[in-house]
Amino acid sequence: MRMLVEQVRADLIAFARRPETLFFTVFLPVIFLVLFEAIFGDIEVSAGSDYALTQSTLQVPAFMAMGIVSACFVSLAITMVNRRETGLFKRVRGTPAPAWLLIAGQGVTSLLIGTTMVVVMLLVGRIAYGVEVSVDRLPWLVLSVLIGAAVFSCLGIALASITPSSEAGPPLANLLVLPLYFVSGVFVPVASLPDWLSSAASVFPIAPFVKMITWPYDPAAPDIPWRSVLLLVGWGVLGLIVAARFFRWLPRRG
Amino acid sequence: MPPVADAIVVEGLVKRYGDRDVVDGLDLTVREGEVLAFLGRNGAGKTTTTEILEGYRTRDAGRVEVLGQDPAGAGTDWRARLGIVLQESQPLGALTVRETLRLYAAYFPHPRPVDEVIGLVGLSDQAGQRAGRLSGGQKRRLDVGIALIGRPDLVFLDEPTTGFDPDARRQFWDVIHGLRELGTTVFLTTHYMDEAQVLADRVAVLRDGKVAALGTPAELQAMRGDVEIRFELPAGVAAADLPALSAAPDVAGGAVRVETSAPTRDLAVLCGWAEGRGIELANLTVERPTLEDVFLAIAGDHAEAGA
Repeated sequence: MRMLVEQVRADLIAFARRPETLFFTVFLPVIFLVLFEAIFGDIEVSAGSDYALTQSTLQVPAFMAMGIVSACFVSLAITMVNRRETGLFKRVRGTPAPAWLLIAGQGVTSLLIGTTMVVVMLLVGRIAYGVEVSVDRLPWLVLSVLIGAAVFSCLGIALASITPSSEAGPPLANLLVLPLYFVSGVFVPVASLPDWLSSAASVFPIAPFVKMITWPYDPAAPDIPWRSVLLLVGWGVLGLIVAARFFRWLPRRG
Repeated sequence: MPPVADAIVVEGLVKRYGDRDVVDGLDLTVREGEVLAFLGRNGAGKTTTTEILEGYRTRDAGRVEVLGQDPAGAGTDWRARLGIVLQESQPLGALTVRETLRLYAAYFPHPRPVDEVIGLVGLSDQAGQRAGRLSGGQKRRLDVGIALIGRPDLVFLDEPTTGFDPDARRQFWDVIHGLRELGTTVFLTTHYMDEAQVLADRVAVLRDGKVAALGTPAELQAMRGDVEIRFELPAGVAAADLPALSAAPDVAGGAVRVETSAPTRDLAVLCGWAEGRGIELANLTVERPTLEDVFLAIAGDHAEAGA
């Protein structure tokens, strides 16, 4: 346990001291939230019937989703590839530290960063835009964040496992998530997408996650989106399978 | 005192890549508390052997025992007794020296105090500096510090001083001397003969995946035999005027070179001769073959030097 605390502490310090990761992972989603609120905030969304729901409300959970994906998937994958390729993992595997420690360390670190961003967005949404989440649905928000963090961490480890080099890390991760942000309800409301595009996007993991995390914010939304939960968890399992098959500690080169 | 045990025993080690035997029947014993230098050209099988001993790679044949256990199946208790410095690895650049060592200390059951290790590797002035901003030599010393944090009985150093400037190498050597005083066994892979000469109790020279020579630096040098006497041919003296020595002198330009197995006698004759004529022999030197010469002879005669 002390080992894990030290590991997470070191991983957090290392994360916080790298300006580029800090910017892309933490600040960018928050900046996007502010920009999108300014640009699209007033648009009425016909998600519910009786409620006058504006895009302003849905954007808060949408960018929470981006924060989690950014911390647990993109940043985690890039970090793990770097550590493998620079020999850091190899080095630690030469000590008595157990293998799970490195993975748990990264997982907990990403969870903490992602959760922090969710809290920041929650506060920004509430204070700046008056966006509130109903108290009885708050546990669902917490649960969504936890499930999302776990699933995207599994996918992040899977991506790291199949990424061949440090150089390939950032472009590969961003290539995967950027288009999905557009078609999964993060940058653009799903309602304004053509049907074929939104149904194609709904198969990938970001769309169900956005649906889950948006649910507590949308009083008109019907029942808990269980199908989205199942789909998302399915992706997590797939990630684990890929990771178990291709994961390695030693650098790929040499 | 218990009898000196063996830290590493290797018998008939074989490692194949494709149809090439990179390690081809290697035998080697490293005693507890000694510094063994493991030399060989690139491709001789140094790193492969080292990584098998460290438990990173599997082997195809042979018996290997490191600290009494087979690295292939050894667990965390065994790992806790090892210190490993890899040929290539970078600590987290964003962490300071102290933070890095503190993290690694958490991995080991009975770590040395962080500040003690910082002192051991001579990084006290850099303790608060980020690893990414250290010089190459300082980074490598941090690497060694990481290897020492768990109070290892055996330390593997894989080409630790490659790319160092002379000052950095000397400082690094002091660190290794310190290790020896702590009673730590050191398995040192290196390209540099002077490094082996300064640090090693024994030297193993690897060639084509086998140990081609093993002994103390002095023993290896003795294998090459003759001592070399050099001086400049004094003005007005012809080569034929020189006194008879145990071997015929080799005169090229104004330089005289004698390879002799009886250096004391030859020197006495030569100096008596010169003294009798009131000649001061310019640039008189007596040299044993360097370990480098020995290495070049044993390690094989590829055109390019190993370093």
